[in-house]
Parts: sequence; C-alpha cells; structure tokens
Amino acid sequence: MSETLTQLGKYAEEVGTKVIQLRKNESTVEVTQDRLKVFVAHLVNDLHVRHLMTITGLDVGQNLVIIYNFSLERDTIHVKTSVPKTNPQAVSIVDIVPGAILYEMELHDMFGIELIGNPWKDQKLLLPDEWPADLPPPLLKTTKPDQIRRRLGLEAAKP
Amino acid sequence: MEYSAESLVPFGPIHPALKEPEYFKLVLEGERIIDVIPRIGYVHRGLEKAAESRPWVQNMYMFERTCGICSFVHSLCYGQAVEELTLFQVPKRAKYIRTIIAEMERIHSHLLWVGLMGHWAGFDTLFMWVWNDREVVLDLVEAISGNRVHKSMNAFCGVRRDMPENMKDRIVERMKFLTDRARYYREVIDTEETMLVRTENIGRVSQDTAEKLCAVGPMARYVGLRQDVRLNDPYAAYDEVPLDIVTTTEGDVHALLRLRLDELVASANIVSYAVENLPDGPIRVKVPPVIPAGEHSSHCEAPRGEIFYYVKSSGGRTPERVKSRQPTMANLPTALEMLKGQTLADIPIVLTAIDPCFGCMDRMSFYDTETNRRWTWSGEELRQYGVNHYFPDRSKKQRGFTKAIDSSINRRQRESI
Repeated sequence: MSETLTQLGKYAEEVGTKVIQLRKNESTVEVTQDRLKVFVAHLVNDLHVRHLMTITGLDVGQNLVIIYNFSLERDTIHVKTSVPKTNPQAVSIVDIVPGAILYEMELHDMFGIELIGNPWKDQKLLLPDEWPADLPPPLLKTTKPDQIRRRLGLEAAKP
Repeated sequence: MEYSAESLVPFGPIHPALKEPEYFKLVLEGERIIDVIPRIGYVHRGLEKAAESRPWVQNMYMFERTCGICSFVHSLCYGQAVEELTLFQVPKRAKYIRTIIAEMERIHSHLLWVGLMGHWAGFDTLFMWVWNDREVVLDLVEAISGNRVHKSMNAFCGVRRDMPENMKDRIVERMKFLTDRARYYREVIDTEETMLVRTENIGRVSQDTAEKLCAVGPMARYVGLRQDVRLNDPYAAYDEVPLDIVTTTEGDVHALLRLRLDELVASANIVSYAVENLPDGPIRVKVPPVIPAGEHSSHCEAPRGEIFYYVKSSGGRTPERVKSRQPTMANLPTALEMLKGQTLADIPIVLTAIDPCFGCMDRMSFYDTETNRRWTWSGEELRQYGVNHYFPDRSKKQRGFTKAIDSSINRRQRESI
C-alpha cells in the first residue's frame, strides 16, 4: 500500500468512513454528500491526488451512486457518494477540480442529477437540444431503449 | 457610432464523414478569441446504454468501434477491466502481441495527425508524404490481424490471432524505416518556415492549468507533466519493454509536433524489441460467458491520452454498467484554454493540435454583432484564410515543397562530399 493510501486511510477514519481495497492498486471509499467537498479538497490539495479520470454514475435502484475516479501513479481511488432518486441533487466539485466540469455535465445529461455549483449545469452536453422534457434520463435502469424510440417517433427495434 | 467590442462566432457543428464533430461558440474581440463554449454530442450513439443489453464478448467488439483510429486500445482497456473480474491470467505471449498492436496503432495515429497538421498549416506536401508512410504501418497491421483499422484482435484473456511466421525481420526493417522517416520529418518541422511560423508560440497553456484541468496524454506531456499510463501503471507488457517517455517544456503547438514525432520513434523501438523478444506459449485462455459479480476499472494509454473503462457485473451474461471515457473528452477543457488569446486564423491549427480528428471545419458560420452580418465559410476557405493571414505575399507555387526538397538535396550533397 502506498504512502498516499495509508494517509488517506487515516483521514477516512477521522471523518468516520473507511478505505476498502478492492484489489492491488484499486481502492474505494464512501462518503456522504455533505462531507464530499471537504473530502475531495483534502484528497486534491493535501494528498496531491490531482488527476480526476472521470465521474461515473450508477443506478442502484433507490439511489444514484456517483463515483469520482481519481488516479495517482499506480493507485486508482474511487470516491463514492450517493443521492436519492427522488431528489437527485449533488454538490459540484468544479471549484476544487476544474477539470470535472464536462464530466458533471455528462452526469446531468445521462442521470438527471442536478450539480449545484456547476456554472454550465443548465446546458446540455451529450443529449440533443430537442430531447423531450418528459423523457427520463437515458442511463436510468427504468428507461428502455424502445421507450425512447417511440417517444422520438423512431421505429421500434427489430425483435 | 459606437461599436460593440465582442462578436459571437458559432463554430461547427459537423461533417459526419470524419469523427468527433464538435461545436464551439467563439466570443471574439476583433480577431482574438476571448471565450469558447463547447457543445459536443453530435455523434453520441449511446454505447454505454447499448452495452447493458449485450453479452460481455459482443461488447468488446462494439467498444472497439468507438473510434476509427485508436480502436484496439478500447477493446484492450475494456478487456482488462473484465479480465480482473474473471481472475484468469493473460498468457505472456498475448501480452506482447497486445503491446505490438497497441504501439503500431500509436504510430499510425501519430502519423495521421502529423499529416493533418501539415495540411492545416498550408504544407500539403508533408501531409502527402506522411500519409504515404502511414501505409507502411497499416500494411503490417493488416498482415498481422487481417484488418487495417478495426483489428478485432482482442479476446478476454488473450488475443484471437497469433503473430504470423517469419514476420520478425520485416517488422524490424519497417520500424527502422519509420524511425528514419520520423527523424527526417523532425528536421523538416524544425527548419521549414511554413511549419515554424504556423506553430511556434501558438496554443500555449501553463503546466498548472493543464494539471488542474486533468489533461491527459500528449496534451499533458507537452507542458512537462510526466503523465503516461504506460509508465505510471504498466499494463500488457509495458513493464518489460524499453519505455521512453517523451516530455517537452516549450508548451506550444510546435512542441506537440516534436513530441509526437519523438514518441513515434519510441514506439517503433518498443515494437522492434517486442517482436525480437516475443515469448513462446499459448495466446489465449478460454473464459466462460458468465463473468463473476464485482466492479473494476482499467485505464490505458491511447495515442491521444488516457482512456478509462469502468465495468460492473452482477454475475450475469450482460454487464450491469460500463462506463467509458475517451481522451478528447478529458482534453477538451485544456483545448478551450489553448484557444483563448489566439486569433481566428489559428483555430484550425490549435484544434487539430489536440488531435480530435475533427470534421467541424466543413461548415462554419460567422456573426458580426456590429453589422448583424452573417456569413459562412467552408473548411477549405477557413484554411485558406489562415494561410493567407500568415503568408500574405505567398504565391500559388508550393514554396514549402521546393524548400524541403532543396534542403534535403543539399544535405545529401554535403554528406557525399
């Protein structure tokens, strides 16, 4: 385990969470929404884990999980947080990691999560401008490809 | 009468014949760009959603079709993420073959890019020479895999085709040829006026900005960040081959040109070494169609930079979730910073410099807030505008061509004397 991960483990215990080692060089840590910004700021500014690879969204039923995939040399660190599907609002980390801006926009497009604090949060990035407001975000498990095709007036998929 | 200082230039979107169309709203102050707002997604095909309803193996070849240039590395990265879930080991020979194909892909991608840079700078001779040399490496890829671009070489825990017999000498000889060509192009871009005027001191960005914006690949290395997945987190056979990570500190488009040509030489060395030291043994382990539950991520160094795949399995025949992130997405914020402060004439060269292989130049409309005048330029007209901006007295004759030929002839004469 590298020096950075050891320090991160100590810090995680201080704030009441735990670093779980998935595999060699790959670890995951869960934090709550209200602690996320402080945690990421510590990771980036104090531990110098500055490279955010991407932000992954996951639909796990009741909740939406957001994974911030950081990397430092050999280590990959997944910072997980979750928001309820009924109120999909999350804090933006653009002021700490400016490179996150497009990934957050992608998250908004694909999962309908509102990123509070992102300067471009009202713009679409990947979905077309004419994407109907009554269609659910495409990467939710409940959204079926046929439903999108029908709503957009495209022919249904071949069986 | 008062003039408004800013004008808004919608840039793009696209020509579907080339990949990665993008649309930029450019805010201009006279000739200078002061702000850029991106809009991508014109070729968003929903691969991540499609992956959730397809078998694991089928996804590998679907993700290979994400990109028409660096296709192999996508299947490699997705494959590595899944392989970690299966707990099977990849045979050593397969790792070497993967390295060879990945590096050949880097060579052909970099050559394609150098050619495009020549084209947009107004030096079409370079474009034609480089693309001619690119055929050399494409022929090798075809001889190994049967295909030029979409190689479909990968399988879970191995590769589908073995290296053909008696290819070793041919590959080493061609790699030596490409190395010589890359050195020659390096000399051309360092001495040729067309390339120097168009690329020096253009597209600057500070190291700190690039790091904060999470730039990857050559876009991080050209400002001096030693960021390369092959070095930082070696995969395939990269921990055994001689790895030469090139970085520069000049931080302009000219440095990017030199960096990519040097990387090409480094890649050719890796291919030669891997071919000469190719271990014997099996090339593949059979993996059952059901992948155990779990989650894993993998990252690889594509020609354009780091690509990232995240895979989640619930123990079924299809993935629960696949996330893929391409290097141009990561480099876009940095590219926007590079554009700020440049002139309209530099747009083609700076945008090509990040290697997005873009087709958005083909239709471009301008809007002048002073006069409410709108006009449209085709990509060729914009290119011509750029060339005329820098070389106003330039006649139609191909000065770049004659000069490069002259210098090469002179050098040869000198050497023979």
